Amino acid sequence: MPAEVESPEATTAIAASKKRKQNHKKGKHPNKKIKKAPPAMAAAAKHNNRSKKMIKLFRKRAREYNSDDDDDHDEEQPTAGLRDSGAEARQDREDAASSEDSGDEEEGQKGLDSEDDFSGDSEGDDEDEGDRARQRITKFAEGSRAFRVAFMKIMKKNLPNDPLGPVLSAHKNLVAEKLAEEEAEHKVKGEAKKEKHLAAEKGHVKPTNFLDAKEKSLISIATKGVVKLFNAVSKAQNPQRGLNPSKSKDAKVLAKQRKQTFLSELQKPTTQAPGNPSSFNSSMVTTFVPNSTSKEHSNEPGWAPLRDSYMLSSKFKDWDKMPDPAGAVDQENVSLESSSDEE
Amino acid sequence: MARFKNKRNKKVVAKPPAAKKQPNVDQVTGDKIPKSFVFSRGKLPGPLKQLELDLRKVMLPYTALKLREKKRNNLKDFLNVAGPMGVTHFLMLSNPRSVPHLRVARTPRGPTLIFEIHGYALANDVARSQARPRCPQELFKNSPLIVLSGFGGGGQHLKLATIMFQNIFPAIDINTVNLSACQRIVLLNYNSETKLIDFRHYSIRLQPVGVSRRIRKFVQSHQVPDLRGLQDVSDFVTKAGYASESEVDEDTATVSLASDLGRVNRASTKSAIKLQEIGPRMTIRLVKIEEGLCSGGVIFTEFGKEAAEANQEADEEAQQEA
Repeated sequence: MPAEVESPEATTAIAASKKRKQNHKKGKHPNKKIKKAPPAMAAAAKHNNRSKKMIKLFRKRAREYNSDDDDDHDEEQPTAGLRDSGAEARQDREDAASSEDSGDEEEGQKGLDSEDDFSGDSEGDDEDEGDRARQRITKFAEGSRAFRVAFMKIMKKNLPNDPLGPVLSAHKNLVAEKLAEEEAEHKVKGEAKKEKHLAAEKGHVKPTNFLDAKEKSLISIATKGVVKLFNAVSKAQNPQRGLNPSKSKDAKVLAKQRKQTFLSELQKPTTQAPGNPSSFNSSMVTTFVPNSTSKEHSNEPGWAPLRDSYMLSSKFKDWDKMPDPAGAVDQENVSLESSSDEE
Repeated sequence: MARFKNKRNKKVVAKPPAAKKQPNVDQVTGDKIPKSFVFSRGKLPGPLKQLELDLRKVMLPYTALKLREKKRNNLKDFLNVAGPMGVTHFLMLSNPRSVPHLRVARTPRGPTLIFEIHGYALANDVARSQARPRCPQELFKNSPLIVLSGFGGGGQHLKLATIMFQNIFPAIDINTVNLSACQRIVLLNYNSETKLIDFRHYSIRLQPVGVSRRIRKFVQSHQVPDLRGLQDVSDFVTKAGYASESEVDEDTATVSLASDLGRVNRASTKSAIKLQEIGPRMTIRLVKIEEGLCSGGVIFTEFGKEAAEANQEADEEAQQEA
C-alpha cells in the first residue's frame, strides 16, 4: 500500500512547510532531508494527486531555492555595500585613526542586512504560488549569475597597500599591534641569541681549504721529526746488511748475533741511542727521555725490570736544576724517596 | 642529611669496568705509562665541548674517552679517581669570562700550566677543509708521537712545559719500538716572537717511493684493476699514468725502514712519509704556571706582578663560580 506510506510523508512535508512559515530560517535544513525521498515515489505511484502534489512540491522547492536565492540576492547587495563602506571606513580609519567608529558602522550594516533577509523571506512566503513558483525556479540560474557578479566585484576590488592584507576583523588595530609586538620580541630574542652564539664561537677559527705557508712549514717540521725518529729506529733495529735470513747459513749467524745482542742488552746500560739524544732535546724532542736519563746510572742493567729504580722514577722532581753529571746520582736518590709516597 | 652528604661525596665519575686492563707500566722499558683525564671546569659552549672530545681522542688510548662529568664534580672527585687508576695528567678546559683556557696539570701535586686558547679548530672543521679527509679508527689504537719545536733556549717556564708535554705520552724506546705503532704525531711549535704555541695533530702515512700510483693502489686494495683502455697487460705496469710525484721534499721526507711495514712498505725500498692533519688544532699561549694542582704559588706568569695578582683573583672567582 504505497498510498498509505505516501500520505503521511506528504503530510509531514506540508506540516514542515507550515512550520516553515513560522520560523523560516531554522526549518530549512531538516526540510531538505525529508523532501528528497517523496517526489520520485509520488511521481511513480499516484496519478490522481499528481498535479496537486506536484504543484505543492514545486512550491516547496521554489521556496527552498527562493530562500537561498533571496539570501544571496539580498545579501549580495548589502555585502557589496558593506565591503565598499568597509573599505571607505578603513580609509577613514587610516585618516582619523579611530577604529571604534568603523566597527560600529560595520555592525550597523550587519544589522540592516539581517533585517533585509527577514523581510525578503516573509514577502516571498506571503505571496501567491503557482506561476510564481516556476518563475522562482528560473531565478536559480539568475542567482548563480548574481553570485558570479558579486564574486567578480570582490575580486576586482583594489585593496589598500596594507602589510596585513584584508582583515575583516573589527580588531584590526589589535592584530597589527600584536604582530608588531611579536616582531619586536623576536628581534630582541634573535639579537640575544646571536650575541650568545658569538660568545660561544669566540676563538673558533675555521681552517682554510688550502695549506698556507704556515701550515706547510708546520707540516715540514713535523715531518722532519718523524724522519729523524724513523731513521734512528731503523739504525737501532737494522739487522746486519748483506745477510739473507732465508739462507740457513746466514740465518745461523743472525740467530747468534741476536742472542748476543739480547744478552748484552740485559747486561749493559742503554747508552747507544743513535744520534745524540741531547740534540733532539733542544729543537726536536721525540720523547727520548728514558735514554737520556739512563745515561747517568751507568752500572745498571739495560732491561728496565732489572734496574733498582724500576717503576719508581719520577721525572718531575727538580726539573729546574741543571743536569750535571756530579749531581745526577743525588737527584736520582731524591726522586726515589719522593716517589714512594706518590704511588 | 647524612645520606645526602654521602651521595655528594660519592665518586660520580663513572668509567665502565675495563674490559682489558691497561698496564700501568710499559712491558719493555719499564716506565710508568702516563694516563690522562680530559674534562671541563664550569660550563662550556658547544664548540668547546667538541674540542674537549677531540682532545680526548688525541690523548687516546691512555685516557678515559667517555669520562662523564657532572656539574657538581669538583677537582677532588677527579683526583680521588685518578689515584687508583694511575692517571697522571689532567687536561682541563674552562671558559672564564668567555676566554677559553686550557690547563695541563700533573697529578696529584702539580705543577699546572695554564694556557689561553687564542684560536682553535675542531677535528670536524679540519676534516671539512680537506678534499680527502683520512681518519681510520686504527689511528687511535696507539699513542701519538710528540714533537716539540722551538722550545729550546727559552726560559725556565718553557723547559717545564717541555718536560710536561714530553711526559704526557708514553716514552718511546727506539730499540724496541714497532714502527707500525707510530701512526699519529702531535706537534707543538713555539714561536718566540709571538709567544704562541701551535698545536697540531697529524696522521702519519708511509708510501713507497718510485712506484707508480696505479701499482701502489693495486697492491693496497687487492682489487681487479680497470684495463679497458689498455692494449696489453704490460701497459698497466709500464704506462706512467699520472706521475704521483707530488711528493715534495723527496730527500727530506724519505726513510728506509728497518723492517717491513704492511704489504706495501718493504724494508728494502724507500718510503716517503706523508702527514695529513686530523685535528684539532689550537693556538695557545702559556699564561701562568702554578706550583700545585690548580693552586699554590705562581712559578711563572706572562703578565706583570699586579696583573698576575688580579688575574689570580679573577681566576679564583671564576673557579668558585664554576
